[in-house]
Amino acid sequence: MNSRTTFYTALTYAAGLLFLAVFIGPILWFLALAIRPAETAFAMPPQLTFEPTFDAFRHILVDPGTNAPQLVNSLIVAIGAVLLNLPFSVPAAYALSRFKMRGKKNIMLWYLGLLMAPPIAFLIPYFVLITRVGLQGSYLSMVLVLQTLTIPFSVWLMKSFIDEVPAELEEAARVDGARWDTIMWRITLPIVRPGIIVTSMFAFVFAWNNAAFPLVLSSRSTATLPIGTLGYFATSGVTWNYIAAAAVLAMIPPMIIFLVFDRYVVRGLTFGSVKG
Amino acid sequence: MHAITLRSPQALAPVRRGFLRQNLPYFLIAPSVIMLLALIAYPLLFALKSSFYFWNLQVGPQPLAFVGFDNYVQALNAFDFRAALTNTLILSILGAAIEFSLGLAIALVLLKSLPGMNVVRALLILPTTIAPIVVGFLFRYLYDPGGGLVTWVLRSLSLPLPAEGILGSPSTALAAILFVDIWQWTPFFAIVLYASLLAVPDEIIEAARLDRASAWTILMRIKLPLIRRTAIIIVMLRFMQIFNTFDTVLVLTRGGPGTSTRTLGYSLYEQGLVNFNVGLVSAQTWIAVLIVNIIVALYVFFAFRNEEW
Repeated sequence: MNSRTTFYTALTYAAGLLFLAVFIGPILWFLALAIRPAETAFAMPPQLTFEPTFDAFRHILVDPGTNAPQLVNSLIVAIGAVLLNLPFSVPAAYALSRFKMRGKKNIMLWYLGLLMAPPIAFLIPYFVLITRVGLQGSYLSMVLVLQTLTIPFSVWLMKSFIDEVPAELEEAARVDGARWDTIMWRITLPIVRPGIIVTSMFAFVFAWNNAAFPLVLSSRSTATLPIGTLGYFATSGVTWNYIAAAAVLAMIPPMIIFLVFDRYVVRGLTFGSVKG
Repeated sequence: MHAITLRSPQALAPVRRGFLRQNLPYFLIAPSVIMLLALIAYPLLFALKSSFYFWNLQVGPQPLAFVGFDNYVQALNAFDFRAALTNTLILSILGAAIEFSLGLAIALVLLKSLPGMNVVRALLILPTTIAPIVVGFLFRYLYDPGGGLVTWVLRSLSLPLPAEGILGSPSTALAAILFVDIWQWTPFFAIVLYASLLAVPDEIIEAARLDRASAWTILMRIKLPLIRRTAIIIVMLRFMQIFNTFDTVLVLTRGGPGTSTRTLGYSLYEQGLVNFNVGLVSAQTWIAVLIVNIIVALYVFFAFRNEEW
């Protein structure tokens, strides 16, 4: 290895470390906030060593008073959003992938265009609508309106997975006399099961991270974790270690999902429009 | 982008028998379309109707008077709404442009496949996975004038900092918000561009090198054109998302100081959910929807003109 190559190798590693410091450093610093004694949070210069304490997590999880079920609420809403999403988006993705039809490009763009709508502007109408049908403060109300985000996303992502199943497989079954629904249930869907799992995971993360809809549609007893962090922010002054502990709880599931499904992350983030 | 397709959709066109058979794909799509229409049409029509009324929930539960286009005129003439429009355009255009450029630079470094760089790449995506509202809290902590890490670092470098703190001064607050967006979304661009650059065939690059093309020429003339479609889509998605941002602004600055970090999303939040000015917020909604639709429609029209679907 000549010195020029060595130099460039060193430079590349230096750049890699810089990226980690800039993009991951702040996250680690925030994690530390959740377990550091409150009085050291704003020490100048920053205090790197401290006696870790889990009081904030204990407060959030074990002794939370009125905030008890936020973690559970987040789980219910996110899982509910995934379960409601699949029966709507999977058939649509199957049709867009497998059939030739007029206006396909327009339909695909229409799904995408729905994401241009400002969610905040929809909150008052949703609130009025949900109150009229008597669903205010329910999990169902949040799960329902989250579909405006998860259905368009899932259709695009699922389509890219179904696109990859060779048409020959379905062809063969059709020659054997199988109907389209048999083919879809018995052949295509089992093959794209990993795609369904990945799509569900992304829909879960969308629902999990969403703060706008629960902000208006949840009640005190159905509030999700992001609303919980806002609560700690607004009420008892700024209780930084409680905020950090709640925020860390909110951060962990999406992080795990993205790291585990690393191979599919690109495809998911680009709505399947890029084969990652 | 890479045109290898394993399927032949035409081969599976439904057998021409019966109304249902013939329209099968439409029946499969219909439930999702109906669901989405039901969810999206109500708010849009609700906002359209309310935008022509004076209706403030703090004054009364029902619309008080038909006022024609007054709400639109009031919105467009209001200093704070115009500031919100300007800030939003600055944030979304600068944000998408900077995130794309930085992301591309990082992607090119990641492409130098040295041992260990895979770990860097996998970890790099983490900022993107965090809920915007949580990112807001993270940076509120880092920016804190009384001992936040960013404040401390900048002060240690003896850079001039406003006495009111980074978020407290009109001269730095919008840049601070922009920085938060860049921090969260540059990794997204980096990872996506990295993955699509990986798919550019080595032979093409080799051939160009033999022709003594410079690294810059190869990037601009070969690599970028080959990942064009990916780039178009992610820039558009990101633009649309920043255009509607409000969570980070809510946590970081509440649009202040003054109107320096007011964004459309935050303006809609404040008029709708704090002032309950339903009529005015509905007019603002329609103005926002029209603007973003026009921008994206133009963008899609020019960018996708020659694309096959």
